[in-house]
Amino acid sequence: MEWSFTPDSLSGYLIVSGILFLFGILTILTRRNAIYILLGVELILNAAGLNFVAFSRFGNLGVDGHIFAVFIIILAASEAAVALAIILQIFHSYGTIDLNETNLMKR
Amino acid sequence: MTMSVIMFWIFALMAVVGAGLVAFLPRLVNSAFALVLALIGVAGLYWTLGADFIGTTQILIYVGGVTVLLLYAVMLTPKESTRVPWIRFLPAGVLTAAIGYLLITAFNGVLLAFDTIRGVDLTAPVPTADQIGNAFLDKDAYLLPFELASVLLLIVVVGAVFIARRKREV
Repeated sequence: MEWSFTPDSLSGYLIVSGILFLFGILTILTRRNAIYILLGVELILNAAGLNFVAFSRFGNLGVDGHIFAVFIIILAASEAAVALAIILQIFHSYGTIDLNETNLMKR
Repeated sequence: MTMSVIMFWIFALMAVVGAGLVAFLPRLVNSAFALVLALIGVAGLYWTLGADFIGTTQILIYVGGVTVLLLYAVMLTPKESTRVPWIRFLPAGVLTAAIGYLLITAFNGVLLAFDTIRGVDLTAPVPTADQIGNAFLDKDAYLLPFELASVLLLIVVVGAVFIARRKREV
């Protein structure tokens, strides 16, 4: 199948999700702030969910891909809640959430 | 150029531009709102794929819930601009480009395998909520993961409260 950028081809959705994934990787690699890294992870999870639904659509697989997208959304919400609680504690004990400064497990 | 093509372009641009702004904007508040733009774009792409339930869930949980959590956490960060020094983009950009090359290679292989598209009808979308609900509550399909997800959510609620509470004797 040729590469094309239309809604009736798989490749358009693959391009968009690939770009989302790469921007998420770039965010994680360049930032030192813990919340930015969380934003990057959310972008990557969204890219994965988009791929699941796109493959479900174009592989004619019914709603299986949709169900995996639901689980991805559930896990992303859980991950955001727990990560933010941890970030809150890091901020309480260090006074910053710069990941270069938080280098102790306990003090 | 039909309506679905136009909607696909609009939502794809929203997602890509939002993701780019998340990666490059200097201030955290602006990046968090750019993430909202990207998430709404992805929800629209779900709709163009005929996944009405997933798109709506994306809006409800991501745009309504996760973003509010993130904006609450943004209040923790100091006010100063977190502009990334450009020298840091060099190794990260090289690594990202390498991963992108691998992605393109992988997608090429996938597209070769998907050379025939079977029965895609974009003009008549079918509601999917009933199929998803039936699959979740069918013990031959996804009942166990569904129940495990609810247990996980309970653990997350209790655990997040436990971790986030302010400890007295620290």
